[in-house]
Amino acid sequence: MKKFYIIIGMAVFVGSFSMCHKSDVFSESGYDERLTGGAATVFDATTHAFSDPMPGLDARDTRVHQIGDQTFAQTFVAPPSPIFTGLGPIYNNITCINCHRNDGEGIPTSGSSNSGLLFRISQPGKDVNGGPVPVPGFGLQIQDQAVFGAQPEANMSINYTDLPVTYPDGTTVELRQPVYLLQNPYTTLASGYMLSPRLAPRLVGMGLLENIPESTILSFVDANDANGDGITGKANYIYDDYTKKTELGRFGLKANTSTLLLQVATAYQQDMGVTSYVQTVESGDGQAQMSVVHGDVQPELVDSLLNYVVFYVKTLGVPARRNVTDADVKQGSTLFNQINCSGCHRPTVQTGVDVNLAGISNQRIHPYTDLLLHDMGAGLADNRPDFLANGKEWRTAPLWGIGMLNITNGTEYFLHDGRARTLEEAILWHDGEAKNAKQKFMNLTLTERNQLIKFLQSL
Amino acid sequence: MKIKFLSIAFLSLIIFSACHKAPAVSSGGSTTTVEATVIKDFTNSTALPQYSSLTNSAVTLNGAITTLNSSPTEANLAAAQLAWKNMRTVWEQCEGFLFGPVEDNDYDPNTDTWPTDYTQLDSLLASNNPLQVSDVANLAQSLRGYHPLEYVIFGHGDGRTAAQLTPRLLQYAVSLSGDILYNNVQPLYQSWTSAPTNYAQQITTAGSGSIKFPARQDLFLAIVGAMSDICNEVGTEKMYDPFINKDSTITESPYSSNTLIDFKNNIIGLQNVYMGLNGGTGIKDLVASQNKNLDNQIQAQITAAVSSFSNITEPYEKAIFDQRTQIQQTMTQLAALKDLLDNDLTTFVKQYVKD
Repeated sequence: MKKFYIIIGMAVFVGSFSMCHKSDVFSESGYDERLTGGAATVFDATTHAFSDPMPGLDARDTRVHQIGDQTFAQTFVAPPSPIFTGLGPIYNNITCINCHRNDGEGIPTSGSSNSGLLFRISQPGKDVNGGPVPVPGFGLQIQDQAVFGAQPEANMSINYTDLPVTYPDGTTVELRQPVYLLQNPYTTLASGYMLSPRLAPRLVGMGLLENIPESTILSFVDANDANGDGITGKANYIYDDYTKKTELGRFGLKANTSTLLLQVATAYQQDMGVTSYVQTVESGDGQAQMSVVHGDVQPELVDSLLNYVVFYVKTLGVPARRNVTDADVKQGSTLFNQINCSGCHRPTVQTGVDVNLAGISNQRIHPYTDLLLHDMGAGLADNRPDFLANGKEWRTAPLWGIGMLNITNGTEYFLHDGRARTLEEAILWHDGEAKNAKQKFMNLTLTERNQLIKFLQSL
Repeated sequence: MKIKFLSIAFLSLIIFSACHKAPAVSSGGSTTTVEATVIKDFTNSTALPQYSSLTNSAVTLNGAITTLNSSPTEANLAAAQLAWKNMRTVWEQCEGFLFGPVEDNDYDPNTDTWPTDYTQLDSLLASNNPLQVSDVANLAQSLRGYHPLEYVIFGHGDGRTAAQLTPRLLQYAVSLSGDILYNNVQPLYQSWTSAPTNYAQQITTAGSGSIKFPARQDLFLAIVGAMSDICNEVGTEKMYDPFINKDSTITESPYSSNTLIDFKNNIIGLQNVYMGLNGGTGIKDLVASQNKNLDNQIQAQITAAVSSFSNITEPYEKAIFDQRTQIQQTMTQLAALKDLLDNDLTTFVKQYVKD
């Protein structure tokens, strides 16, 4: 009997030690590929795929998310008004949702109620903080609409010319090359200004992107191209006028914004003319036509509403991938990595810890971006520097949700200014650091190209 | 001893087998056939007739406003107000299926944006700017559609008299109703029936070639999602915000005191989608084919929600002060309905609609 106890005791001893054994790295195949946003993934393939809150919000967070949602969709009106006041006097649109349609992307037109393309403007050089230099009388953005009695800063004319591209196999695709023209400036506009078009992006996984550790993003930088793939990658550092600090840029098409708070507050101020505790100065400040507004009380947006909208954007879910077991999609995914699209559009990133919000904390996500700036070649260049981003550089666009645009937005537009009407056109515009990948794509067979596009449509 | 062991083994076997989930009660077979009928009827008997009726009511409204413009009498004003309210009934019911071109092409925000921009509206009316339909179409959405028109013909607190209607106000009203008809309601109907969008075809070919709905499940989830959205919007936004803030200035149709009727019609719109209209089938037929109990629950909850509005007897702008218990009860009914739609009905669709 004694022997029996000794044996049992040893077994327990060994057993407990083996439980201390550290687990191996979980194999890649063990993850569910559909979980694009980790715990923040939502399974919704309808028109509202971008509009669902991430799962698991508690009652309080759900309520805050909902108020943020309502405010995001709220139309603002010209002051004075007891409610939702502060629009203009100059603006690009009257509510967030008109540009971020269904929380998706904008339509590349200018000056209409459903327009989602805006133009940044600046003079050559850098301001004291390293940012772009405002144009006197126009600031850093063209507001192409105005309240009654005021005049839009200018009208933007948008035209396209055809640009054929031929594959080695003889197939030809017509790209459309945009031509932007600033017309009818409300006052004298000094020549030599630089314009940069920016299409309103979809709001997928913003909270997760904000929660990627800086060290992770910086680890993607390959300034000297040590691995010889032609891709370097550069972090943008911007000056945050609210925190009075230089910070790593993550948001905006040239990574010229550091936080969601700054992003949302600046959009309210620049796009709608609505001031807040973060952006206290009217976009039309200093212009003679500010006098058309009477009885305005600053700041126009209540603090809590700004915070709720930020929370809303932060807690939107990420649509799950679809058709992940489809053979073509699987092959497309392999090709995506083989021709090194993944060199910039990084498939997998780990977020940092956020003790307040489990959905974005320590998540294994698939944003398909490195959040870094890359030279995209002359064809896509805006030739307008924005902090450290030069005139050819753009931030790698996250690809999650890109396959849902046709359903969420009715019509798809791609790239920073919506010039591409199909995923194929978007790929063919790639150049600069992406030239190798683009050429490898063009050398694929038609079947393979379609597989790669089918993979993108599953995102 | 051995017997004891065996009996324990046997017992555990029973316990484990008891954990086996019972198969869902089913009246049998696949839902493919009934899905096809429901999709066809949703399109041809529920959605299209309502959009067609919306067009007719816009024509009537436009006619009434035109008559009012040429002869601004109290009788003509009353007729215009009635036409506006009738059109609102149709429109609010159409919001029971608020997806597709109505969203994609902005027909909803172009006509039903809130709040009205008083400051700009006053300046506009005081100016000599042209006010033809094409001019109104280029105004901000807060100066277009039902609510500015409501302001013109009802005035603050439903106090408009024919004598107050200046030529400028009348011209604005004519162009507002023209903008609703020509630039929004007619194109909305056409976007369902003809190229290039032909949205009705996108729906009827769901799961078999439709770009918008690659699978039938996507379509049913979109329909159920839209039902849930309107339920949520009424229960937690349109009713809740004025209620919790005790603020009658933030109700939906404050000039005409039509707010409460708007709410109820939204939920009737949802009911129409579920029950079907004009003798056609509805979502209920799909649900009942597999789970009659769930169908009963949903029908009962919709009916309870719709009829609970009758307990609120005052205009909503007043009821938020006087009839708070009744409002609370309606919001509770709507929350229960939303819960059924979001959980039970959505799960049902995911479980049974597999093609």
